Amino acid sequence: MKKKSIGQFLSESREASLVIVLAVLLIVVGIINPSFLSFTNIRQIFLNNTLTFIMALGMLCVMLTAGIDISITSTLAFAGMSIGLLQKYNVLHNTFLLFVIGALIGVVCGFLNGIIIAKGHVAPIICTMGFMYIWRGMAYVISNNNWASGMDVAGFSDFGKDGAPGPYIILILAYIIFFIVMKWTRFGRRIYAVGSNTEAAQVSGINVDRTLTSVYTIMGFLAGLAGVLSVSIYASAQPNMQYGKEMDVIAACVIGGVSMSGGRGSVAGTFLGALIIGIISKALPMVNIPNFWQNLIKGVIILAVVVLNVVTQRTMDRQNLLRREM
Amino acid sequence: MAGKSGREISAVPEGGIKSKLLSWEGALVLILIGVNILGVAISPNYNVNNVLREMPRYLAEIFMMFGMGYILVLGDIDISVGALVCLAGTVTVLSSNAGAPFIVAVIICLGVGLLGGMLNGFIATRFTELPTMIVTLGTQIIFRGIAEVLFETWGNGGGTASMADTKGLMLLAKKLGPFPIAFFCVIIVGVIMIVVLAKTTFGRKLYAIGSNKTAAYYAGIKVERIRFICYSLLGFLSGLCALFLLTATFGSNTTTGQGFEMEVIAMCVFGGIATTGGKGNLTGAFIAAFIIVCLRIALGQRNINTQVILVIIGLMLIISVLVPSISSAITARKKRA
Amino acid sequence: MAEDLILELKGITKIFPGVKALNKVHFQLRRGEVHALMGENGAGKSTFIKVITGVHAAEEGQMFLEGQEVHFKGPRDAQEAGIAAVYQHPTSYPTLSVTENIFMGHEDVKSGMIQWRNMNAEAQKLLDSLDADFKPTDEVGALTIAQQQMVEIAKALSTNAKIIILDEPTAALTANESEKLYEIVERLRDEGKSIIFISHRFEDMYRLATRVTVFRDSQYIGTYDVDGISNADLIKAMVGREITDMYPKEDIELGDEIFRVEGMTRTGYFKDVSFDVKAGEIIGLTGLVGAGRTETIESICGITRPDSGKVFLEGKELTIKEPVDAMKAGIILLPEDRQKQGLILSWGLGRNVTLPIQGELANNGFNDEKKERELAKQRLEEVDTKAVTIFQPASSLSGGNQQKVVVAKALAQSNMKVVIMDEPTKGIDVGAKKEIYEIMGQLAKKGYGIIMISSEMPEIIGMSDRIFVMCNGKVSGCLQRSEVTQERILELSMEKSDSKKGGAA
Repeated sequence: MKKKSIGQFLSESREASLVIVLAVLLIVVGIINPSFLSFTNIRQIFLNNTLTFIMALGMLCVMLTAGIDISITSTLAFAGMSIGLLQKYNVLHNTFLLFVIGALIGVVCGFLNGIIIAKGHVAPIICTMGFMYIWRGMAYVISNNNWASGMDVAGFSDFGKDGAPGPYIILILAYIIFFIVMKWTRFGRRIYAVGSNTEAAQVSGINVDRTLTSVYTIMGFLAGLAGVLSVSIYASAQPNMQYGKEMDVIAACVIGGVSMSGGRGSVAGTFLGALIIGIISKALPMVNIPNFWQNLIKGVIILAVVVLNVVTQRTMDRQNLLRREM
Repeated sequence: MAGKSGREISAVPEGGIKSKLLSWEGALVLILIGVNILGVAISPNYNVNNVLREMPRYLAEIFMMFGMGYILVLGDIDISVGALVCLAGTVTVLSSNAGAPFIVAVIICLGVGLLGGMLNGFIATRFTELPTMIVTLGTQIIFRGIAEVLFETWGNGGGTASMADTKGLMLLAKKLGPFPIAFFCVIIVGVIMIVVLAKTTFGRKLYAIGSNKTAAYYAGIKVERIRFICYSLLGFLSGLCALFLLTATFGSNTTTGQGFEMEVIAMCVFGGIATTGGKGNLTGAFIAAFIIVCLRIALGQRNINTQVILVIIGLMLIISVLVPSISSAITARKKRA
Repeated sequence: MAEDLILELKGITKIFPGVKALNKVHFQLRRGEVHALMGENGAGKSTFIKVITGVHAAEEGQMFLEGQEVHFKGPRDAQEAGIAAVYQHPTSYPTLSVTENIFMGHEDVKSGMIQWRNMNAEAQKLLDSLDADFKPTDEVGALTIAQQQMVEIAKALSTNAKIIILDEPTAALTANESEKLYEIVERLRDEGKSIIFISHRFEDMYRLATRVTVFRDSQYIGTYDVDGISNADLIKAMVGREITDMYPKEDIELGDEIFRVEGMTRTGYFKDVSFDVKAGEIIGLTGLVGAGRTETIESICGITRPDSGKVFLEGKELTIKEPVDAMKAGIILLPEDRQKQGLILSWGLGRNVTLPIQGELANNGFNDEKKERELAKQRLEEVDTKAVTIFQPASSLSGGNQQKVVVAKALAQSNMKVVIMDEPTKGIDVGAKKEIYEIMGQLAKKGYGIIMISSEMPEIIGMSDRIFVMCNGKVSGCLQRSEVTQERILELSMEKSDSKKGGAA
């Protein structure tokens, strides 16, 4: 075999090029503002983006099947608001049970998405767009214009307060589990198979509908979990919580090399993508760019990355053609 | 050259008035009547005058619905339009407040919409490998992102801006007889859009592209140019929507236009346009739009929260996209029995 | 009679809504034989295969595997019973590795974890046994079709299949690749596998099979020894009538040059292609699959942009940037894939026919439906389409009749001067083929220039006045009707082995 050039290696290994981007980003921001690289700051990047990190895993699964889910932050709000209210009205204060209930609400929301997309053959964007407004609206409805404030969730918020190990443990566990499941189990590989060629998957006896349903259910579970975590970390629950954050999650996956057409993407890439998104959010104010630029910059990054992917692919195809002898 | 078997192929179109009455459009008309009866039943204020008075704010979205219908028939989707309405409205308010005369502000409003649509069209047609869903997801964040930046850098901050000089807008909010100007504009734009889609070669090309893009291209249709035109058109209509929305709100904020993309897609789908492309027509969507408008007015009069209305519209969207697969499942079951 | 039958099907009937796809058909497969299954399109071969592989359940009939009656509930059951199918278009996972494609559905799992190392080693062994020139870790999407088929065969072997079904495996292969496939099939047979081979190509059958079973119109016609049946008898069994004079090529006085292409080049696809067509002439453009024929004519017609090259029509140079430019000038393409490129399957026949010319028929941009209907009816009747109304969807027609709709669509374009037909008879049955040839002959008589791309040697030789052979992106030679033989064409199609080493990447 011929040795590959560095350029080829980078274009073939998404993870390698992401590490380089990450390094450059850290160095540049570090030079402008050295305090950025402090341990506390780095730790906070993870804490502030726990929700993005966790939901990106679900989005990875969804996008591997060539789908998308933009209802996740609405599910998050509905689940979060529900457990917030359970505490506000003193129904329940057990942290573990609250986690279970929040996650279950997420599972139900996700399952509905999944069953409609799989059995009803509805385009994922349409279905999840509908539920994006339904669950967000439901969060408003159940809240009845009330918040669950820091006082309401006092004991519960200890789990996710700055410095507590809870969110990190969940984060690490989630990534370890997904890393193993996606690479070494039949279930994980079936998700890849369905996204790579749905018809072939059907012929070789994979239950496509069940796989699709479970993928959206997993996404819902993680969104519900993120809802509970959000209440814990930010010590409050309001119906508009994490509004628009689904874009961070999608951006993380897109940057991490998850293909929009399915079948391609990895847990490692998703992690790096989420990390880059987290660093950008944290770094902008530290290099004197006001917060209201955040969304614009993220939007430009998403578009730039997907367009760049297309351009790289075209150049690679073109080079392959030039190499053909005639 | 003539067929050697002499076989005749019929060229007589089937159907007539009966099949038209039994069609989905007929059902929609009944639903529209039903919604109005419901309105009268639940709200004492639900009458012709009040409905017409409250209508303009909701009519604005219908402009966009026509453009979305074209995009869906093409087999594409554009989820950036809500954000584009926000951006167009914001730029209009800020430029008017900065001293632009009303007519200039109007041109700016339509122009921003058009440019936004052209941007979508440009990316979607230059990078055809990308699903339009991701393209417009990106521009959605960008449009709203620009508006957020403008509120802070050009306006007075706080993520909101209201129009200081509302004389021009008041003019547009006037009525001609019992009907608001917006009503006439919607009817005119609607009739043009419906006829173009149903009766012209341009409309036929949209169906061809939505049904089989490759075959359309091989048949000499300039696929990418037509897609670009449709995106630009939708952008322009988003600008028009922003303008008429201003005649009701006189201002703009970061949440302006939230959910519009879902509402207009719901109108189209409810009206019988398939999200997979190539199927449906705007007549149904037009009736469906009025169903949703009347429903909103009726529920609004009962002081039902916007969020609840969005829940209802979301449910309508999901149920109506499920209709084809449910009905085919039922026929399959019947056949088996 | 104590034959060693590994598979036997008796009285299989399969009904789809409104159609009897299989009507009491029989089939017997001996252990260790290669058995060809032939019949026209729509004869029920594919349905039959799907019954064997458990995709469809038959309404009536019995199936015996090694003497035991079996009932498959799904593809899985058939797989476990040792039946594997390899399809014409490999049903692979393009973004996944070769190993994963081979073992999908029966991975090596120990305590819930997939054993990648073992599977890669196993895959390497299988690939070695097939003489494959790629690695287990390669991504399948990057392989050629022939290589992907090899992955499918490796997959069949990995399940220890006893019966392997090959569904038109050579249709997308070059001659070299087909030869390699023949060798693999022979080796599998020698190892004791039983093989069912479906093909339209007679050469496949003669080369491999010992027996052949023929289906016609969903019915079983007969099973014959390949050595004991003549070509003509076999065709008769397939179509139910004798086809005389398959190629109605008449000698026509050729006119002046009508169309010329000079130095067409598109990097990576074809290089410096030149040819010319006279009025009334049928030009055959042949070569192996992948030689760049379709790519060349697609560039001529504006589907893709060439890097360089000139196109002359009636002596005048044309500027073609988009398909519409070629069509306006009178160069009409009948594309290779009629279902994806030629027709809108969900549309009625009439709208399909008038799609390219709806603008010309329209009044100020408004469609003239009446004029369209009349024209469509006329053109569809001219080519003798088997249809009831012009409003029935194109998807309701058989392949041959769909092709006639594509022809009608071309004929509707009144300014037509040059017709380019890309594989016009691919996948259509013998009867329809002949009708297409007749239409070609009539068009030639009327003085149109005709270019036919085809991989089928008999039709190229039977129909063309001159034959241009392409090889690896270049025109390797031009043969006159009088001097053409199969051998000459093959010779020009193949790369000379000494001229280059390594070859194309």
